[in-house]
Amino acid sequence: MAVIDVVNLSKAFGPKVVLSKVNLQVQEGESLVVLGGSGSGKTVLLRNIMGLLTPDSGHVAVEGQIIAGLSREELFKVRQSIGMCFQMAALFDSMTVFENVAFGLRRHEKMTENEIQARVEECLAMVGLKDTNKLKPAELSGGMKRRVGFARAIALKPKLLLFDEPTTGLDPVMTDVIGRIILDLKHELGITSITITHDLKSAFEIADRIALLFRGECIACETPEAFKVNPHPVIQQFLRGDADGPFLQDPPPPKRKSA
Amino acid sequence: MVLTFFDKAGTGVLRAADTFGDFAVLAGRTFAAVFKRPFDGKSLLNQFQSVGVNSIPVVVLTSLAVSMVFAVQLAFGFRQFQAEGLASQVEGLAVMRELAPVITGLMLAGRIGSAMAAELGTMQVTEQIDALECLATDPIHYLFVPRLLASMLMVPLLTVVSVYIGYWGGYLILVGVEGQSAYVYGNEFYKLLAFRDLRIALYKALVFGMIIALVGCWKGYRTQGGAEGVGHAPTSSVVTSSLWILISDFFLTKLLLV
Repeated sequence: MAVIDVVNLSKAFGPKVVLSKVNLQVQEGESLVVLGGSGSGKTVLLRNIMGLLTPDSGHVAVEGQIIAGLSREELFKVRQSIGMCFQMAALFDSMTVFENVAFGLRRHEKMTENEIQARVEECLAMVGLKDTNKLKPAELSGGMKRRVGFARAIALKPKLLLFDEPTTGLDPVMTDVIGRIILDLKHELGITSITITHDLKSAFEIADRIALLFRGECIACETPEAFKVNPHPVIQQFLRGDADGPFLQDPPPPKRKSA
Repeated sequence: MVLTFFDKAGTGVLRAADTFGDFAVLAGRTFAAVFKRPFDGKSLLNQFQSVGVNSIPVVVLTSLAVSMVFAVQLAFGFRQFQAEGLASQVEGLAVMRELAPVITGLMLAGRIGSAMAAELGTMQVTEQIDALECLATDPIHYLFVPRLLASMLMVPLLTVVSVYIGYWGGYLILVGVEGQSAYVYGNEFYKLLAFRDLRIALYKALVFGMIIALVGCWKGYRTQGGAEGVGHAPTSSVVTSSLWILISDFFLTKLLLV
């Protein structure tokens, strides 16, 4: 049985259809990378998986439980087994790094303060952060914030990790660091994960399978090798990073010839 | 033309019902969450600090100013027909029944309600509230409940402070400036008052506390649209809660004085 089963998922906001009959399955221990242009519905897909949005039709099942049909208490139980890493980290800015990472532990685990301390340090070490316990999120760089977000997400030892554009807005070096951390987490913890990214380099490094969302539909979901040679013009344009092609709805400005 | 009018009126009524329904549901969920576990004592203490202790200077200064200006007006008014002695009695009645709870409520709506709306609004647009949800934490329980409890306890306490300061504001004017006897002022201030008046003032303060916290949290929680939305939330919170404080004050007065 798939850990995550997305079945005919559709979601629209007013007249704008964001997801249209999307089908995806993620098996245990698998790392799925979801690619797609801005506004193609990638984040909406993750928010449906977390139960932050309700599908218009279709459903998302996590370990066989249909998310939209759960009570609040049942939903919270499922969420304890999922770690969500937000695009801009979404750290609690009134708390220190330590308090952010310890938040879930204090709410849901009966641990002593020493055990919490040890677990927080273990999580921060996994993402390559030390001696940052007492800092506030405002004192951290973008890359550090993402990593604290990762540490917070893994603190409760989830079975499933969701990464929402973890490298957007970071420099290439930090992008590579984040990619390595995701790989490390995958290998060390054996967690099932869904990663949304625009960064093709890290996508091919971390993916067992790659899916591409295009205008709300999932047009491919296959191994990185198969994805690379998929002849679909949208996929090939996305891989080339070229403005000309069927990917954009509005035609791009003409390319200037260099003098 | 007529159809357009009915269209607009209908849309307005539906929107108002939708807004009120949304507020009612969130308020209901907040009260239902009060007894849920885990109990976050640290967060509650922080709210006591920010709602109660940090508001003392504002409440003291406004209560002093309003009671003093009210005493000046009373002294002037009663002097017109040589009834200066009544000024302290009316001062006591006005401070206890109306000025203390309403001024405290309005000042806290500005100070606390707006802060709650801005804080929760910022948390909403920076996905911190979604992060709470993802960490299996009910934002209503974690964010609304401590603020509601702190407001329901602190607004009545600050109202008592306001009554006390109101007494001394009247004293400064009526005894210090108008030359009334301090002994007479002390007796006259409480002459028209009964224990019931303190109870009414505290009931009012309790309701005002609920309005301030629920409206502030609700406006923050429903913030949309980035910086503009965060800017709009506190303004909207202060206007809405101030209006509801004044409207509920009228009905509470009618109801409780019967």
